[in-house]
Amino acid sequence: MDAGLNESSNSFQSNGDLSQQNWGRGWFGSAVRSWSKRLSIKQHPLEYIVLGITLTITLVFAFLIEGFATLGNLAIVAQNSTALVILSCGMAVVIITRGLDLSQISVMVAVSSVFGLLLSNGSDYSIAMLAAVFLAVILGLLNGWLIAFIEIPALLSTLATAMLIAGVCRWGFLQGEFLVLIPKSLPIIEYISTGKMIGIPVSVVIGALVLIATSLLLNKTVLGRIVYAMGDNYIAARLTGLSVRMATVWVYVFSALTACIAGIIVSSASGTVDFRIVTNGTLLFEVIMVVVLGGIRLRGGRGGVINLIIGVLLISVLRNGMTLMNLSGQVQDLVKGLVLISAIVIDNYINPRDTETDTQGDL
Amino acid sequence: MSLVEDSNFLSGQPKVQKQRAVLSFRRIVSDLLNRNWIEGAIPFITFFVLVTVILITTDGYFAPTNLKTLAQYSSDAAIVTIAMLLVVAIGGIDLSVGSTFALCAFVALYLFHIAELSIYLAFLLTILCGTLIGFVNGFLTGILGCGALLATLGTMITVRGIFVIASQAYLVEISSSARFDEAWEYIGYENFMGVPVSFWALVVVTIAIYLMFKYTRFGWHILAVGGNRKAARHAGIDLKRVILFSYMLGGTLVGLAGFLFAARQNSAGSDTGVGLEFFVLTGLVLGLGGFTPGRGSVFSTLLGFATIYILGNVLINAGFRGDFINGAMGLILITVLAIDMKYRKERHRILARAYLDPATMKVDPVQDMGKMALESGQTKLDGATLLGVGEVNGPEDVILDREGNLYCGTRDGRIMRLFAPDYKRVETFAKTGGRPLGLAFDQDENLIVCIAGMGLYKISGPDQIERLTSQTSRSWTSIEDDRQIRMADDLDIAPDGRIYFTDATKRYEMETWGLDLLEGRPNGRLLCYDPVRDTTKTVCDNMVFPNGVCVTHDGRHLLVASTWTCSILIFNLERMQDGPRYFARGLPGYPDNINRASDGGYWIALAGMRSPVIDLAMEDPGFRLRMAKTVPPTNWLFGNLNIGGVLKSDAKGKVIDAYWDKSDGPLYMITSMREHHGSLFLGGVTNNKIGRIDLENADKDWNGPDSYWSKGN
Repeated sequence: MDAGLNESSNSFQSNGDLSQQNWGRGWFGSAVRSWSKRLSIKQHPLEYIVLGITLTITLVFAFLIEGFATLGNLAIVAQNSTALVILSCGMAVVIITRGLDLSQISVMVAVSSVFGLLLSNGSDYSIAMLAAVFLAVILGLLNGWLIAFIEIPALLSTLATAMLIAGVCRWGFLQGEFLVLIPKSLPIIEYISTGKMIGIPVSVVIGALVLIATSLLLNKTVLGRIVYAMGDNYIAARLTGLSVRMATVWVYVFSALTACIAGIIVSSASGTVDFRIVTNGTLLFEVIMVVVLGGIRLRGGRGGVINLIIGVLLISVLRNGMTLMNLSGQVQDLVKGLVLISAIVIDNYINPRDTETDTQGDL
Repeated sequence: MSLVEDSNFLSGQPKVQKQRAVLSFRRIVSDLLNRNWIEGAIPFITFFVLVTVILITTDGYFAPTNLKTLAQYSSDAAIVTIAMLLVVAIGGIDLSVGSTFALCAFVALYLFHIAELSIYLAFLLTILCGTLIGFVNGFLTGILGCGALLATLGTMITVRGIFVIASQAYLVEISSSARFDEAWEYIGYENFMGVPVSFWALVVVTIAIYLMFKYTRFGWHILAVGGNRKAARHAGIDLKRVILFSYMLGGTLVGLAGFLFAARQNSAGSDTGVGLEFFVLTGLVLGLGGFTPGRGSVFSTLLGFATIYILGNVLINAGFRGDFINGAMGLILITVLAIDMKYRKERHRILARAYLDPATMKVDPVQDMGKMALESGQTKLDGATLLGVGEVNGPEDVILDREGNLYCGTRDGRIMRLFAPDYKRVETFAKTGGRPLGLAFDQDENLIVCIAGMGLYKISGPDQIERLTSQTSRSWTSIEDDRQIRMADDLDIAPDGRIYFTDATKRYEMETWGLDLLEGRPNGRLLCYDPVRDTTKTVCDNMVFPNGVCVTHDGRHLLVASTWTCSILIFNLERMQDGPRYFARGLPGYPDNINRASDGGYWIALAGMRSPVIDLAMEDPGFRLRMAKTVPPTNWLFGNLNIGGVLKSDAKGKVIDAYWDKSDGPLYMITSMREHHGSLFLGGVTNNKIGRIDLENADKDWNGPDSYWSKGN
């Protein structure tokens, strides 16, 4: 029960590392201080552990698996993990506010099935995309409203909206089917799935853009400041007069938008919208794993885009390696489950919770 | 001057109109919100609404055969719901129940068909498998302290992975197995006393868990930890152990459910238990009326589950697909959670807004007092001797015993005694702990006291206090439980020993009685305590702030002051059911206590004076409501409590004299007076002194106890 005592004590300690040295007062000095703080191993042990593990696994795979350490495989890894990167951008922002969005995959599937249906009905791609974005915003607003204004705990409300969105979408849009086929021959689909921009696959470019946007959102905007403040101490943030309610709404809208982009990329790449990713649902766990393993603590208030990259590296290498080793999907799920549990345990060890100050629904 | 001979007098007096407007929408809302059972009623209401709709729309849904099928197919999921309740009650959640359920079903099938173990061993091992997964969950959340939702999400996919891998390897073999066992078949298909065996298992589990929550230490610990973790730790509960065990017990129950499922289906598919956790959670949330840790209502939870199960079943029968039902479950979940959150948050606000419920009240015009009126400027109370100044705080009522000692209650809950003859010596007679108001001596010279907030008490000597009654019978038209006597105000004792006393208002406390005037509703009642049978009953309900009580000189009638209507009512003690008639009406102020006078008349204390403005305000409830909401209480329009007085009426209720105080005191807000050997003693509920004036033309030998119980007992 002494869990609460050592919480967050290490993040404010002086460590005698680079950040303590005098690098001048200018922008360069402050940049160095800020980055050296971000990269300090004492303050961020998990990130270095995960990086170390990733490196080890990569080396082991490179030796064991034929065709792992090739440029072609690297491109595949990058392309396969863009959806994961984009989704985890949204999830990270939500988790930094000390929330959780369990409905992200449902939103993604709902949005992309609308997108796919409109395209296969012959609508123009711009209309389809607009409709997709519009739907995503609506669903994000729904989530945000339930959490910020009705004040249902985020875990429970997104759990419920996940069921609601998936059920209604499959019933209303898909008439009970679980697949929507997307005409792959359409130029826009072709462009998203196989096109290249200055030699880099378009989807990877989109992923990078989303990463940059998330970074800007978190670091350069008022909303980003509020996001960190809320995650650190929600009540303090509210009492300071920050518009925490609207910030919550925008955060869930952002999460839904990332789900929308990821959905369009995934469905374009595979040519289908597969409903089973909601029900068998390992994608959601992968997203949470990326965020947690990257070192963004579930208690909120800490972390940034760099953490996402660390997390994605591990997961995508793991995923790719296991696929190349011809492990069945079930075994992969099993491994992912175990990795998720260990990630949660490690997160809990490094950032202990004080369960006694939990509010209702803070599960 | 007795009333007995003059029976024409009483029947000539106008009857008091029966008070209406006791119920109003506002009042029903506030009373409902005040009740605690209203939350628990939600699952019952939804269940009965659903059942009614089905009865109307579907023929034969509740036929015995269908009910039996429902019981057979739903009991395993119902057991899982109870398992979820265990975990939710401790402040956690278990999303892995669906996977655990599937894995346990598989384990049972494997052990039975492939390992060919005896069914009892298979049963034990299956349950052990559930317990083991429960242990993992409990270890992660309880011992390590991880977040329950994500940790069990992790075990959910891991266990699901194990199940899928294992079932792919063995399910074909299992389905081709031909092993037959009577016990296995019995559990799966047979009925015991006309009810499926699996349903009996549910009944046993339900009762066991109910008893556990109700009577065992472990059950209490679970609720304590779920209710307030910190308080539970401070109480010395080993949190980690309790959390671990509750997850393990939950796992055990899921194992049992899995076994029942295996025996019934004799197979398991890849979709076994998928989505079960959401289904179960929806039922639980509906049953508990929200996601509330620290509550172990097994029956409400099962009712919520039954509602969801039957709803899903009916929808499927009606041709809806599973996806629609999923969506509906999500919607129900959100709706219940939203209502719960909003209700929890807004309840007190709505209550505070809706509680005050003014009604129209027309007060009789002030009767012509002639020369006795306050405006005449006479101040007969001026020059009163002041007794116990600063030593008695708020003597609402004063009374004297045969020896002439003076008693009064105080604001801090004591009964003070001031010794005759000069009343300089003051001592604490008894400490009551409430707010002593009306006083009376019974035949044996015990002091009977009305204590606001407590009830009717008897003081037989210094610090010898005994409760006579604190509750009356419940009135059936009231939503609020009105058994408790809320503001016992004044009493008097009839010759047969029955004690008549008033409960001035059922809706407000001693500190907030002023709001009752603002409301102007008949919230009070006249009660009767029978010392012989030790029973209390409500003699007359719905009276407007009944205050002073006085048995008439002939001992056959009862006077009750109705403060806000500025009138005195009279009851015939032998015919109480006839209701009251007016004894005096249109008084110039608000009457408080009434007491006997030596000349056969009555003293009436006026606590405050009416004014035309407040009389007008009483006719406009909307005005008073707006005032109460927009103006701070210090600025409310109210009766004039700064000046008071005493009226003297003759035996027929005609005011024959008035004693007014100066406008600057010292005896403002006079609430009681007693005549004793030619003197009048005056008390005031907000005063810090007792006044005494000598009366001219009064019987110098007359005193209260003699008047009631005749000389020398």
